[in-house]
Amino acid sequence: MKFGKRLKQQIEESLPAWRDKFLSYKELKKLVRQISSAESCVEYGKANAEAEFVHLLNNEIDKFNVFFMEQEEDFIIRHKELQQRIKRVIETWGPNGTKPSEAEYKDEMAKIRKDIVNFHGEMVLLVNYSNINYTGLAKILKKYDKRTGGLLRLPFIQKVLQQPFFITDLVSKLVKECENIIDEVFPVEQEDEEEIVKEQREAITVAGKGIFRNTVAALLSMQEIRRGSSTYGHFSLPPMDLPDSDLIHSFQLNSPIPIV
Amino acid sequence: MEARPALSIQRSGASQLGSLGVSGGLSSSLSIPSTHLEGTYQKLPDIQQVPSERELTTRPQAHATRVPTNNGSLADTASLPLSQSSSSLLPQPTIPSCCNKENSGSWCTDPDFLDFPEWADQLITCDDALTSNWNELLVDNVTNLEPKMACQVAKPCTTMPAQNQQLPSPSVESLRVVNPSSSANNAPAKPRMRWTPELHEAFVEAVNQLGGSERATPKGVLKLMKVDGLTIYHVKSHLQKYRTARYRPESSEGSSEKKLTSMEEISSLDLKTGMGITEALRLQMEVQKRLHEQLEIQRNLQLRIEEQGRYLQMMFEKQKSGLDKLKVSSSNPENPAATSDATKEAPTKSELESSQRDHLDSGTGTVNNAKSMLERSSREMGGEDMATEAGDLEKTKARVSETSPEQAAKRSRIKE
Repeated sequence: MKFGKRLKQQIEESLPAWRDKFLSYKELKKLVRQISSAESCVEYGKANAEAEFVHLLNNEIDKFNVFFMEQEEDFIIRHKELQQRIKRVIETWGPNGTKPSEAEYKDEMAKIRKDIVNFHGEMVLLVNYSNINYTGLAKILKKYDKRTGGLLRLPFIQKVLQQPFFITDLVSKLVKECENIIDEVFPVEQEDEEEIVKEQREAITVAGKGIFRNTVAALLSMQEIRRGSSTYGHFSLPPMDLPDSDLIHSFQLNSPIPIV
Repeated sequence: MEARPALSIQRSGASQLGSLGVSGGLSSSLSIPSTHLEGTYQKLPDIQQVPSERELTTRPQAHATRVPTNNGSLADTASLPLSQSSSSLLPQPTIPSCCNKENSGSWCTDPDFLDFPEWADQLITCDDALTSNWNELLVDNVTNLEPKMACQVAKPCTTMPAQNQQLPSPSVESLRVVNPSSSANNAPAKPRMRWTPELHEAFVEAVNQLGGSERATPKGVLKLMKVDGLTIYHVKSHLQKYRTARYRPESSEGSSEKKLTSMEEISSLDLKTGMGITEALRLQMEVQKRLHEQLEIQRNLQLRIEEQGRYLQMMFEKQKSGLDKLKVSSSNPENPAATSDATKEAPTKSELESSQRDHLDSGTGTVNNAKSMLERSSREMGGEDMATEAGDLEKTKARVSETSPEQAAKRSRIKE
């Protein structure tokens, strides 16, 4: 139940367009309960139920794959465009450009900076999307095996590991490239950075349903999910080691649902 | 070129899930009114077997004359791939796609061109009045093609033959109904292509050669790119995305809704703490980096856990086969001492074993035999390897979790 609640929270706090792309964890759990309660029926029925369960899981996986690859495609395009845009701005309004103008340059660069950060955030949220759905699948499979005595989990999860939505390497690479771009185009002075980190200790309120809010929510959720459960076993993830955890916890997400 | 490896990864991934069809991880979706969807959904069980056989025989003849034009090729291709999928057809939730007759442009993105390059060539030769050709096609063949479209779309979501049964329980039905509405709006009904930056580079090159994103045509770009397996549909949709990204650079970084809220959040940060926008962005970036870092760590852990599970499973199966040979020997009751030793040595086996135990518990001594065999042999055989492997994983887990008690304490304080 804990994961289900966490997942629901994450979904509610995710970008609106993404909300129906997550795992239908609750429904699948219901199905597992149903299947296990009808355990007394013949072998035939049981195999049938398993087939149906697998079929639904596959549908979910298709959903993830399609969404993920669509987003990934968008990210590839936007990444390239961002680089072009930066180049254009530097070449036009930069100090060595065709129409050097410090005001314009600063202005455009500020916009670009914001866009890079949000772009970076969106990509990270996609990786998070992939991960949370994987986690959900692993959990539901574990439930299934536990309740029905089946051996579905191990082989099925191996297949999941090969799915496009789980292979997030490209998006991660784009994320890192974004970080490099920001460091190159907006270099940070060392002293500034330390100062800023200290400033960040103040509590602030994060409003709106923006990317920042979602990121914080995702991090906190992840930590909660891994806090250790009653069914902690050797296939479970250990509790999370989150540096700056107190900083992140200090972001009070003002939503009606408390993140407990 | 990157296209092939990307496609093959996708294909092999798909085939792992059973007969997901050549197109790989694909769901359906052309936009379709939901009432229409229900209608089709009901129809499917009856007609699923029929179209492919019938169409196969009639189609080629009916369209033999139309082959030189592009109308025929489209329909033919639509029918042919179904032969592969007829055995695995099934009424299933993510069907949403029947053709939206009004929107001819988005029709017929179904056909699996990956296997029929000759049809793709014919498409390439046609001019950009393709959409009007599709319109004609729709009018002619709509009744025949519609069920096939839905059927073909059903293809990727099927796996096991047993699925041709209907599950009677009502709550499962509700789950099935939930899915169509969600996937109806997003997944395109065409073979999904996994784009890479290199592929995109080639795309941009081709577009630039053709005079820019507005002037370039999908057909032209496809020809220039010369990538195997790339279809005009892939190019078309990619071009559309590309155009959107270029001509609305502000909103390409997110929907206008998102843009507003990120501005909103930055100004709210600004007001609250007097932080400049720069600092706010820096903070946001830090948090995002943190999340990404954690995600990578988590993913690696998950991979390792499953890897180990697989390894243990393999070991267990080896033992099972070895067990058969030894079946003649006595069925000793499980030795408690051996069990505890084994548990200490390879603790990660316990969960696997317990699930195996549940499964195998047929009341004979074979289970116990298997376990003790596994324990003994693991000690001899891979015992050391497995122990170190298990040890490594445990160490990683321990490292990751060492700060957690403190964090938990802090968290409870803050929450007050």
